[in-house]
Amino acid sequence: MLSKAMGFRNLGPLGLFAKEGLEKAFSLGKFFCFLHVTDTYLVTFVVTSGPSMLPTIDLIPTMFLGERISTRFGKVTRGDIVIIRSPQNPRKLIAKRLVGMEDDTVTYISNPDEPDKQETIVVPKGHVWIQGDNAYKSNDSRNFGAVPYGLIQHRLFWRVWPIKGFGPFWKH
Amino acid sequence: MKLVSYMSQWRGIAKEAMDRTAIAVKFLCCLHITDTYFCSPTHVYGPSMLPTLNMVGDIVLVEHVSQRLGKVRHGDLVVIRSPLDPKRCLTKRIMGMEGDTVTYFDPMLGDATRVAVVPKGHVWIQGDNIFASHDSRHFGPVPYGLIQGKVFFRVWPLDCLGVPGQ
Repeated sequence: MLSKAMGFRNLGPLGLFAKEGLEKAFSLGKFFCFLHVTDTYLVTFVVTSGPSMLPTIDLIPTMFLGERISTRFGKVTRGDIVIIRSPQNPRKLIAKRLVGMEDDTVTYISNPDEPDKQETIVVPKGHVWIQGDNAYKSNDSRNFGAVPYGLIQHRLFWRVWPIKGFGPFWKH
Repeated sequence: MKLVSYMSQWRGIAKEAMDRTAIAVKFLCCLHITDTYFCSPTHVYGPSMLPTLNMVGDIVLVEHVSQRLGKVRHGDLVVIRSPLDPKRCLTKRIMGMEGDTVTYFDPMLGDATRVAVVPKGHVWIQGDNIFASHDSRHFGPVPYGLIQGKVFFRVWPLDCLGVPGQ
């Protein structure tokens, strides 16, 4: 300890300040690395807003916990609500319900004002069919077709905010 | 007395094991960040990118910065997640960005050239070896969000060290 004090005496107070700053930066860096790994592989916070998933998810910004373990192992199924990167705008993430997996036959109403006109489609391999619960105000697979599975980012499983909705969020 | 000395010895070993594990975990976290956000090596193989990339396998460096900033464009070699099998990644060249009209030729479907328009948020990918490549000519344009990174340098085999050709 004495040798350490003697070594840094030459640098003066500025040297000590720099050393402490570097140490703090390293701890911050290590913390962010750990946070990022948890984010990418385990669980992260997700905030959603918009009317396309009414009545399941409210219009106002709502916070959820989203996990990535099921998406990585291919265990996401019909009925799950997932966060998926939009095929129309790669910078946007959208929250929708998974309605069809690959090789499913999906029957949907493309225009809710004409409930008699139904269309049927087979979901191609490696793709999924997503739909918002609010058929009138949702831009989903009925507009842009089936999306590749690789675009799925998280699966929502717990609602965090608003407090009155706090709790498990699956199989709605 | 012997039990107490055993316990103190064990505690020392346990502490050292925890410290070493902590260092290993921190190193792996840093490696993962570099891998995901900056640069990572990838082994690519297959005949679909001849003559640019070898069939038996090359090790290339892939950078993940350009696709996040939207700086991927026509003519870039990219690593992209397959739209048919989400567990596989393909290495192909971008031949059309969103809004482009792509003219392509598929030798397996005769001599006619076909035309396609790339929709918003999608890219058109093709392998350099049009006779042995399964790409957008077969499964259509792919969403930009599936691009994992851009290939910018080849490190193996050593006699092909450098930027892969245009």
